[in-house]
Amino acid sequence: MRSFLLTGSGGGFVPPSTADFNLPPIFGHNVYTTKPIALVALSVILVSVFFIAASRKAAVVPSKLQFAGESIYAFVRNDLARDVIGHEFMRFVPYLFTLFTFILTNNIFGIVPLLQFPAMSHVSFPYVLAIFTFIIFHAVAIRKKGLLPYLKEIMFMPGVPKPVYILLTPIELATFFIVRPLTLSLRLFANMFAGHLLLLVFILGGDHLLKGVIGLKLISPFAFTFGIGLTFFEFMVQCLQAYIFTLLTALYIAGALADEH
Amino acid sequence: MAGNEEGALWSIMGYLLSGLLIWGGLGWAADHWLGTHFFVLIGMLLGGGASMYLVWLRFGRGSSGQSTGDGSSTNK
Repeated sequence: MRSFLLTGSGGGFVPPSTADFNLPPIFGHNVYTTKPIALVALSVILVSVFFIAASRKAAVVPSKLQFAGESIYAFVRNDLARDVIGHEFMRFVPYLFTLFTFILTNNIFGIVPLLQFPAMSHVSFPYVLAIFTFIIFHAVAIRKKGLLPYLKEIMFMPGVPKPVYILLTPIELATFFIVRPLTLSLRLFANMFAGHLLLLVFILGGDHLLKGVIGLKLISPFAFTFGIGLTFFEFMVQCLQAYIFTLLTALYIAGALADEH
Repeated sequence: MAGNEEGALWSIMGYLLSGLLIWGGLGWAADHWLGTHFFVLIGMLLGGGASMYLVWLRFGRGSSGQSTGDGSSTNK
């Protein structure tokens, strides 16, 4: 817990920085057992256990656990998959559901006491998820339309004079192959990174003020209050980002399935 | 379907962004090689304009077409 040591040594306030995101390995020097990886593993276990438990004794009159599990499932299936993708949506529900619950759990770890770290603030995790989405929506489109017709559809809008393609085709290609996966991952990463940093600033700042002279001690509660307020705000952002990532994945798949032109 | 309105929104943002990026980037590269300073501006204006045109082609052209798959109004 480097971040808690930073302010403790009586010197000037050291503002939290990117260094606070590079957590030391848990066991010795093994770089594969860091806190973010442990949290991701924990999230996989938690999500699995929760939904297996929620669906195991499925009854007509659901228990509270079953109701909670089914609400989340119904939300992803109906509001995300069915409304966006259309009649072929069931094929993609498992992926979308996994994506949503996985990202949501990992994001919320950012404000769970003791865990308090969103793994998605390390950019590699969103990258991997975006690569999955990238592969899936292109694969879906290629299987549905064939490689060349798909590329043609991306590159050449119908009803445009030919010279204009010089202008438009690079934009289309960049959108489908660079901007989409990049914005998908960076949006999630940046939100989690900034949110965590913001919480660090206010909580560590409040802690530092508390150790200062009496005048500063009086200001400290305001910093903490703000920190708590921002924690609630973060909760909202964390849910929203999990939702947007899943929504965009569904939209890209929908676009891949749609019969254009 | 409510999802498609939202989809159009995100797609439009994506197009505008990539238009600026790709043509601005090409302009920047041209500046870098030629030692000039104005190609990046030209590129960004061109890219911004082209992406707006593209957005209009995709979403503004058809009367019913709000979705990403507005093939109904083009050629069928």
